[in-house]
Amino acid sequence: MYRSIIYKEWIKTRTATGFIVLAFAAAAIHSFMKIAEDLRLSGAAACWELVIQKDPAMFPLFEYLPAIAGVLAALAQYVPELQSKRLKLTLHLPLKEDAILLAMSAYGTAVVTLVTAFFGAVLLWGLSANFPAEIAGASFRRLLPGFMAGPSAYFLASWICLEPRWSRRVLNFIPGALALSLFFMRAKSGAFCPLVPWLGGFMAAAFFFVFQSTARFKDGVQ
Amino acid sequence: MNPDMPVIECRNITHYYGNRLIYENLSFEVQPGKILGLLGKNGTGKTTVINILNGYLKPRSGVCRLFGEEMDRLSPATKGRVGLLLEGHVQHAYFNVRQIERYYSRFFPRWNAGAYFGLIDRLKIAPSQKISTMSCGQRSQVALGLLFAQDPDLLILDDFSMGLDPGYRRLFVEYLREYAAEGGKTVFLTSHIIQDMERLIDDCMILDYGRILLHEPTSRILDRFGRFTFASNAEDFPANPVLWNTARVGSRWETYSFASPEEVREALAANGAEILALNRETLSLEDAFIGLTGKY
Repeated sequence: MYRSIIYKEWIKTRTATGFIVLAFAAAAIHSFMKIAEDLRLSGAAACWELVIQKDPAMFPLFEYLPAIAGVLAALAQYVPELQSKRLKLTLHLPLKEDAILLAMSAYGTAVVTLVTAFFGAVLLWGLSANFPAEIAGASFRRLLPGFMAGPSAYFLASWICLEPRWSRRVLNFIPGALALSLFFMRAKSGAFCPLVPWLGGFMAAAFFFVFQSTARFKDGVQ
Repeated sequence: MNPDMPVIECRNITHYYGNRLIYENLSFEVQPGKILGLLGKNGTGKTTVINILNGYLKPRSGVCRLFGEEMDRLSPATKGRVGLLLEGHVQHAYFNVRQIERYYSRFFPRWNAGAYFGLIDRLKIAPSQKISTMSCGQRSQVALGLLFAQDPDLLILDDFSMGLDPGYRRLFVEYLREYAAEGGKTVFLTSHIIQDMERLIDDCMILDYGRILLHEPTSRILDRFGRFTFASNAEDFPANPVLWNTARVGSRWETYSFASPEEVREALAANGAEILALNRETLSLEDAFIGLTGKY
């Protein structure tokens, strides 16, 4: 039965998932081409020095891409469920409602996390090939909040999307957007590290927000 | 489950949308093997009853049970016994014909793919056609085919005839009647096309604004409820519990009643009016519905 739920989620999200993968791949190619160009024109030593002295963001696109992917995945999954209140059909399946929702949410989380993790690994590999381990590690750690913003944006967008009342959606959007902005604060590489566990805690808590929206849907809130 | 236990039971349901009362203390039950038709004018809350029954709307007070389980705590096993058709034949329209069968088939142990594809074959559509690209009527046939394949013990159909052409409507009514009779299934349905209900439903429940107007076997309504036309010099007839919707139509009067012509004559003449050429006509279910609820 859970395979069927995953099958349904795949049918709904396959176009969006393809688009997300393409966007990540394009961003990775663009970033590596830029780094390769800098290394070729300025030389490795000058580039390394620049990175150490100025601490520029080496993958600026990847700071926001996971969050955009999270929102896109949530919209692809839950907008069709809300159209004509199809969620009623989903919740009417012979499974526990929480289990259905958990399976749907786990699917979306897996899509966002796996794509982000895969391209995170690609970025780390590319950095390690061109920079010393310390620079590669610091640059990668700088991306962590952005990567964590992916699942968090997915959970928040799901929470807003499944909320049955428009006025409440707007109300949910405000704290959601404020919370998400914490993942994008400008700081030097590594400065964010103490905040990462707190962001992780928020991300874990946000996973459960969608259950509140669904409970309101079930109560027939309009 | 106790075989005498009603399949559907609603007790004292009171519900409001904002300040507008939809029902007050609505109570009814549906026994196993019965086909109950829920009729009512627009806005009387037919879909609201279905939403409450399935736990998709919390009423202000009262409780509904399906197979003895309260509506907001239905177990997976009970949900598997209920086939639900939402108003507008809503389905997961991003699937194609084959995909949606594959999706649902894994949830229901008694899944009968033949019932689904049997109905689909009549549509002359490709299995790869996406549901969102189908006409309203085709979509409705897909939704109904899926319900029959599920082989549920209870079918809840909200406006099942919407979008169906007359031939398919007739076919579906015959199919449903046979399905219910052979398998001892229980059916709870609403429809705007009352002439279809006449050949289908065992019991008829008519909703008025805020209450149940009538809950009777269909045969009793068809046998005993009649339209009476008559001439009279009266200016008006006061309300009488025996008479329904007494009104002047052209030069004559008409009224509706379950009573015999003698009782109707007696009720009409109670205030001294002269009653001439009293004539009783038998009614179709649609005429009876209009007689009970009024034209407006």
